[in-house]
Amino acid sequence: MPVPELIRILQEQPVYRKRIAHIESFPAREAAFGEPDTPLPESLAAYLAAKRIRLYTHQCAAINAIRSGKDTIITTPTASGKTLSFALPVFERLERDPDARALFLYPTKALANDQLGSLREIGKFTGIPAHAAIYDGDTPQGHRASIREMSRLILSNPHELHQVLSWHNRWRTFFSGLRFVVIDEAHRYRGVFGSHISLVIRRLRRIARFYGSDPVFILSTATLANPEEFAARLTGRDAALIDADGSPRGRKHFVLYNPNFAGISERSTHQETKDILVSCVREAIPTLCFTVSRKMAELVSLWAQNDLRQVLPGKQDCVTAYRAGYLPEERRAIERRLKSGDLSAVVSTNALELGIDIGGLDAVIISGYPGTMMATWQQAGRAGRSGGDSVAVLVGFEGPLDQYFMHHPDQFFSRAHEHAIIDTENPYILSGHLLCAAAELPVREADFPLFGTGCEAMIGALEEHRLLRKTPWGWVYTGRGKAAEAVQLDSISTDTFRVTCSGKLLETIDRAHAFREAHRGAVLLHQGDTYLVREMDLEGSVIRVTEADVDYYTQAMHDVDLAVRDRKKARDTNGITLSFGDVDVSERFFAYKVKRFDTVLDVVPLDLPPIQFGTKALWFTIPEEIERAVLARNLDFAGGLHAVEHALIALMPFHVICDRWDIGGLSTPAYGEENIPTIFVYDGYEGGIGLAEKAYDLFPGLVAMARKLVEDCPCESGCPSCVYSPKCGNDNHPMDKEAAILILRELEARLCPAPAAAEAAPVPAPVQVPCDP
Amino acid sequence: MQSASLLAGIGARWQNRVASLREYDVIREGNVFGTSFADSFLYQDEFDCARRLRSRLLDEYEGRSFGDVFSGTVRENEGGECTVLTSREAIAVPGQDPESLRDAILADLTLVKGIGPKTAERLRKRGFATIPDLTGHGRYRAPARELLALIEAGDRPGLLEFIARRHSASHPHILGMSSLFPPESLVFFDIETLGLFARPIILFGVGRIEGGRITVSQYLLEDPSEEHAALLETLSHLTGENPALVTFNGKAFDLPYFRDRLAYYGTPFFAGIPHFDILHHSRRAWKGELRDCRLGTLEREILGVQRSEDLPSQMVPEFYETYLRTGNPGPLVPIVEHNRQDVVSLARLYALHMERWHAGS
Repeated sequence: MPVPELIRILQEQPVYRKRIAHIESFPAREAAFGEPDTPLPESLAAYLAAKRIRLYTHQCAAINAIRSGKDTIITTPTASGKTLSFALPVFERLERDPDARALFLYPTKALANDQLGSLREIGKFTGIPAHAAIYDGDTPQGHRASIREMSRLILSNPHELHQVLSWHNRWRTFFSGLRFVVIDEAHRYRGVFGSHISLVIRRLRRIARFYGSDPVFILSTATLANPEEFAARLTGRDAALIDADGSPRGRKHFVLYNPNFAGISERSTHQETKDILVSCVREAIPTLCFTVSRKMAELVSLWAQNDLRQVLPGKQDCVTAYRAGYLPEERRAIERRLKSGDLSAVVSTNALELGIDIGGLDAVIISGYPGTMMATWQQAGRAGRSGGDSVAVLVGFEGPLDQYFMHHPDQFFSRAHEHAIIDTENPYILSGHLLCAAAELPVREADFPLFGTGCEAMIGALEEHRLLRKTPWGWVYTGRGKAAEAVQLDSISTDTFRVTCSGKLLETIDRAHAFREAHRGAVLLHQGDTYLVREMDLEGSVIRVTEADVDYYTQAMHDVDLAVRDRKKARDTNGITLSFGDVDVSERFFAYKVKRFDTVLDVVPLDLPPIQFGTKALWFTIPEEIERAVLARNLDFAGGLHAVEHALIALMPFHVICDRWDIGGLSTPAYGEENIPTIFVYDGYEGGIGLAEKAYDLFPGLVAMARKLVEDCPCESGCPSCVYSPKCGNDNHPMDKEAAILILRELEARLCPAPAAAEAAPVPAPVQVPCDP
Repeated sequence: MQSASLLAGIGARWQNRVASLREYDVIREGNVFGTSFADSFLYQDEFDCARRLRSRLLDEYEGRSFGDVFSGTVRENEGGECTVLTSREAIAVPGQDPESLRDAILADLTLVKGIGPKTAERLRKRGFATIPDLTGHGRYRAPARELLALIEAGDRPGLLEFIARRHSASHPHILGMSSLFPPESLVFFDIETLGLFARPIILFGVGRIEGGRITVSQYLLEDPSEEHAALLETLSHLTGENPALVTFNGKAFDLPYFRDRLAYYGTPFFAGIPHFDILHHSRRAWKGELRDCRLGTLEREILGVQRSEDLPSQMVPEFYETYLRTGNPGPLVPIVEHNRQDVVSLARLYALHMERWHAGS
């Protein structure tokens, strides 16, 4: 069998061997079959029989939960048959109850299109009249009315839902019968976007209630550290968790591959990736390779083809790059060729992560840690035809997260995945949706629980600005513009920039984002393509870019000013006071670096006004004894604080799904009037988005991990793998790795019960510090 | 608990954001493209003119109150209170001619499903000239009888629906059907709103004919909280004896909008009321002759009415909002006049169409 052969090659050949940080092997697992509590109706049982499908335990558990009217969240891996878990109970109900309706929400049209086929097939085979149809921006005007009236299973997406809710009168029949709402790939709804969507869902529930329905919500997600919390935040209701996977699995090998093994890399990660890919092709192993950008996908594919031309002439056409922009027919052609063996390897960005059925692969190569465990396991999960051995290879970049895993493989494999964060209380987000809700139906006091504690005061503010008007039936929307248009689902600020290329709109980003990543001269990545920013028009809020094929990238540098406005919570543990609350931040982007790999080619000044916003932050102080200890060793205390700040921020994505760019930090040996050494970590989004708040809860674990990261890094005095941050406004000065280790050791000792503490271990009896309400 | 200043900031931010959304484009003169396009564009000079008008009104009506300027009657219902402004004008009343209509319908074989123009011609040659004749035809007996039954029963909505299934909205039979309704039961209807969708209706214009005059009742919202009451008052016009709606583009805009706003307050609405949309008939009559089929153009070119200082309907939301913001009723004056003239012109246009129909054109 080729996969064990590949493993052998990796372990034995000197060139590969020294790069292998770790190989973890997971034994094969048999399927665990089950039966739902009561048998499925004949029509569906016949369908399963015809397809020779037996239900796994988790599918049965899901069916049971859904049938009993419980909201459910299913987190079993890809290819475990999640779709059937919810399709079966939905079809069962559609058969029994002629008024029943179901809404299936997908994050993209492509995914909805893929699912439509299989859902229609079930309907056709069983004869259950679901009339499944897609209703989204592409649906022709002439079809819309009949779909609303006739279709009992509608597939759509949250953007469409956001618009459609104000037309609910036309959807009367559908909403009156709504029994199920399925949210597929729900983990995508996190962060700013997820917080918006959670409010769209609240609005949907309100409208359903108006028409007398109370649908069951079914969420299908990737594995998360906090599934129940996530489900509760997304829908507003508690959900039953289905996570024990009963599907079968062949033996799986996971290789952690570190080209950076000696602390420096001889060649680029992508070239290393290419080598592994070529080996796979030579061993005739069908392979899928994920890269972080489209450009990289094309390069790796090209280099692989070049190599193959030399060593295996004729085989070079077996490798191809794959992108999100392909038409459905093109995608299906590639899928077919992979299945038939015509294609040996496909190199892609994470487009395929979105559940499009590719199947039939034995190896997955992941070039560079994708940023989350969730994405990593989703990508790795693509390998493995039933029964056979499969392999996943993670090729590490030189950044702190990648290197942390390469040096601590136990951490990688025991890691329980990240938390997905949704913040339903960000006032900027909530207020917009209150306007939308008022435009749909007058807002009443009975609606307040749905929208949370802040809404009454917010309604008052909106009323003062004549956007709402109080009437005996509730608050009515009286704005001149359309509410659903005023609210943009992927940003917080209403101060947004349009990014255009040759007059065509690429995307809309908010001001902070624009200054950080799309200033004049910046190299901007969008959906895997590279662009160069030619002009940033502050007056007109437009950023003009052109497509670029450059081999350098840019990093903006900024100064941060911060003031605490209000402390909301705090706890004191052994002399370390950790606080959380509202802060005012001012970020000033004063220059940017032009870099190729790690070499700085140039530093260009920027002339931009500072970005000022209020947000949420956590902060903690360093007691005098620690400072004294650092100074006693002749180490740079400020440098140590700075390094600690960087390490904490670098590891945040380990715990919550975010980008290191979503968080900002500030460290100073003398904060405020009392000049106390303090480190701040704040959410990079106005109003806060729940990241610093989660870090407050997980703080001891975060500190423990930071200590390990910095202490175990083989570098001398700091490097991009531990404490150097690519976005540091001070160009990573001052920086003292040794001081940081000392500080972190002290913090860990005080915050965690034992030196080798588990992450997120609850802190023993912390003293709650009283705060002003 | 959010701080007061944070909340105020949020309120201001949304106010600015919402105010920046416009549902029409301002284009330079000379860039005329689609006619009878959705009225989503304004010429630059119209826009500037309107802006100047607004400033002038604000000056003129400074210090005056709503009640001062608009002396209407207060109406009360389950929705609350609202004000109605009434005005009257003479109008030539279209006559009823049920006989002509009956003859026209009975002579139209294509009303029967399965009979197109060619088949109709063939049938006529074979001696089947009218619908009653078809009751002797094996194949078309049943639908012919169905149609005759509707006529005998005097089921006007049913008949209208039957015809609408076979002919387009602009067909003369449809127009002719309206002559079966006494002029008193016609409801001429036109609304002014705060936007194209999902915002309050701020003015309802309803015209009724009685004894050679048209009475225009306008329900103008002094405050958005009166919308529910105004909706119900308007609705009462449509729940009388055998009402029939006459509108201009009401099928696509005014009526669905009205229904959605009723639903917004939880009042479910009726199913089909006979509805005669004069836009369709006007297009059929004069398309190609005029630069577009907007009501204003028809009014000017066909009815010979010149409005002075009129307000383009796209600007209504801005004018109403200015009133809400300042309390100055000045900007409302042209809205009311515009709407009143719309209703009257609608009725006059309708009368003209009926005249032409009677004349057999």
